[in-house]
Amino acid sequence: MKNLMTILICLFGFFLNAQTQMPNVSLNDLEGKKISITNDFNEKDKIYVFSFWATWCTPCINELDEMNDVLEDWKKELNLEVIAIATDDSRTQKRIKPLVNGKGWEYKILLDSNQDLKRALSIVNIPYTVVVKNGVIVHIQNGYVPGSESELYQKLKSL
Amino acid sequence: MMNKKIFLGFLLVAFNVFSQEKGVFSGGFETNAQWYLNDPDFLDEFYNPVSHPENPLRSNSYLLLNYKIKNWSFGIQGESYLQDALLNYNPKYEKVNVGTYFAQYKNEKIDVTAGYFYEQFGSGLLLRTWEDRALGINNSLRGIRFIYKPTNYFTLKTLYGQQRTGFDVSKGKIFGADFELGLSDVLKIENSDLTIGFNTVGRYEKTDIANPNFDNLTMTYGGRVNYSHNSFYVSSEFDYKSKDAVVQVRNQIDNNLIKSGNALLFNMGYSKKGFGVDGTFRRLENMSFYSERLAKGNQYNDMILNYVPSLTKQHHYNLANIYVYQAQPNVIINDASLVKAGEIGGQIDLFYNFKKGSKIGGKYGTKVAVNYSQYHGLAGTFYIYSPQDYSTEFLSFGKKYFSDANLEITKKWDEKWQTVFTYINQYYNKKFVEEIYGEIKTNIIGVEAIYKFNPTHSVRTQAEHMWANSDKKNWAALLAEFNFGTKYTFYVSDLYNYGNDDSRLRNHYFLFGNSFRYKSTRLSLSYGRQRGGLVCVGGVCRYVKESTGFSFSINTSF
Repeated sequence: MKNLMTILICLFGFFLNAQTQMPNVSLNDLEGKKISITNDFNEKDKIYVFSFWATWCTPCINELDEMNDVLEDWKKELNLEVIAIATDDSRTQKRIKPLVNGKGWEYKILLDSNQDLKRALSIVNIPYTVVVKNGVIVHIQNGYVPGSESELYQKLKSL
Repeated sequence: MMNKKIFLGFLLVAFNVFSQEKGVFSGGFETNAQWYLNDPDFLDEFYNPVSHPENPLRSNSYLLLNYKIKNWSFGIQGESYLQDALLNYNPKYEKVNVGTYFAQYKNEKIDVTAGYFYEQFGSGLLLRTWEDRALGINNSLRGIRFIYKPTNYFTLKTLYGQQRTGFDVSKGKIFGADFELGLSDVLKIENSDLTIGFNTVGRYEKTDIANPNFDNLTMTYGGRVNYSHNSFYVSSEFDYKSKDAVVQVRNQIDNNLIKSGNALLFNMGYSKKGFGVDGTFRRLENMSFYSERLAKGNQYNDMILNYVPSLTKQHHYNLANIYVYQAQPNVIINDASLVKAGEIGGQIDLFYNFKKGSKIGGKYGTKVAVNYSQYHGLAGTFYIYSPQDYSTEFLSFGKKYFSDANLEITKKWDEKWQTVFTYINQYYNKKFVEEIYGEIKTNIIGVEAIYKFNPTHSVRTQAEHMWANSDKKNWAALLAEFNFGTKYTFYVSDLYNYGNDDSRLRNHYFLFGNSFRYKSTRLSLSYGRQRGGLVCVGGVCRYVKESTGFSFSINTSF
């Protein structure tokens, strides 16, 4: 068993420098349509910000509230889209739609009901933000504290 | 072992075959370590001082590696539990081993996975396999899954496997199928969405019992429908489980109580910009489902096949998580004063945003969330003595188990200040929910304030108080979190059970900690006391004992 782990770790070393892409996973949107993470967000040079959240995660909601307030300004400067990936399972999933509308968020919402995408990206804690440009993950932001959104904006401008 | 060798061979072949193509490696690493200490001033409910376990230094670690090339993906997860698994985790997790692995081929229409996989049918009331490391759950199935999606509106899934338990798999064999059809696409209905789905899950477990009155095979069937039109939506699911022996007492199959089970879930809501309302109703009768009959009721959620979360609000306040409801799908009729066959109840949510510039909204708007949930046992007729039996009425409410009414108001005052005010009123029937004794009514007030010193430095404070009329009575809690830039956080918190009738048990549960984040990596170190009781994530709970010590965790993805 140890040999197997050693081989895997060595193999992993070879590929460490490979550019990381989003996994090929399809998720439902709030209308029940299947959306492909790789094929439906592939406009050339457009910046896609995938923000992982849940209805029970207060810092996630703070982040999305703050970003919602400045999104219009960001869009004037950058060609970007924010996709809020709800990792709620069936316990809280029904709360997503009224919460999103109640808060008046402008994001595209996708439902990662059994955490297939979250797992494929090895995300342990949310909030967690993945920035993708031309099919490649170019930036990751782990966690949220007040002010993270301005730092993220500076980063997005540099891409 | 054989499986793992085959898998490794497969992986190496794949590397050679595709060596001209450039594949992509990704993965993640996580370790959670604890150093348990003795704490003579900290008594548990039996007045025993908290002492460290035999191996005081313990860690749970996970290394996940994925390799993707063209339409193929391969993955393997190594896990280590050294010297032992953290306290209160399933002791079946021990030493270093390969936890899961898979090989997957996926194109637009076909998705085939061999090895360990995660799946959910409908809302998960019949089948959900998932991983939750915080709770020590990994109930993935090892076998084969085939998904066929010829068009965007039709999906068929079939699967067969045995369920992971520790580093082994269940004796029970699981097979299932699920299909979902987007009717509105088929019928070309515009402006509305209508989806239907059906699924079936079977469990085959050969029983050791002589002359069983039940079949080795237990079948379940479910149907669901989703409809939405503009701002309105409604969905429903009904599930049925075929007759099977009830397990009332741990490790005891009841060959004389053979019952079927069922579940009904109904949800509807209306939402438009600035307003949302949602209501859910659920009734469960004898709906626990494990890949081995005797696994029922184990404290580690080992071999659990279906997902039966409590449909209540998941609070983020510490004191609101002391009396947490757990869904009651089980049958118990051993004692006339404590009979259960399931639960019935529901919850309502309301979200409203007072617009910016309005009188209540102020400059930045005011957000209000209201939630109410209430659950009861099923009313019916219960026969305690031989032969034991019960019959329930469909829509009548029995003993009250739980209720929670809560209100949350979030207000941003200016660029620097934001506050959240919360009021929670709970009723918790401990006797029925935990099968012990007691009945508790609580009122909780929580106030949270965030103040930004400058764009990247801020402080978050949270004060809570709980009035409880029995059990451990009143509690107070404080938390302060300082964010120095976006990468570093320091926090300190204390929960104080000052109202406990027994002065020896008026414990402080303090915690000091800090965390550092950079890109996809997070490191944290803390020192403090763990409150004994239920730790719940996503409606599934595990019981933890009191402990004191240092915690260290690191996680990263690549």
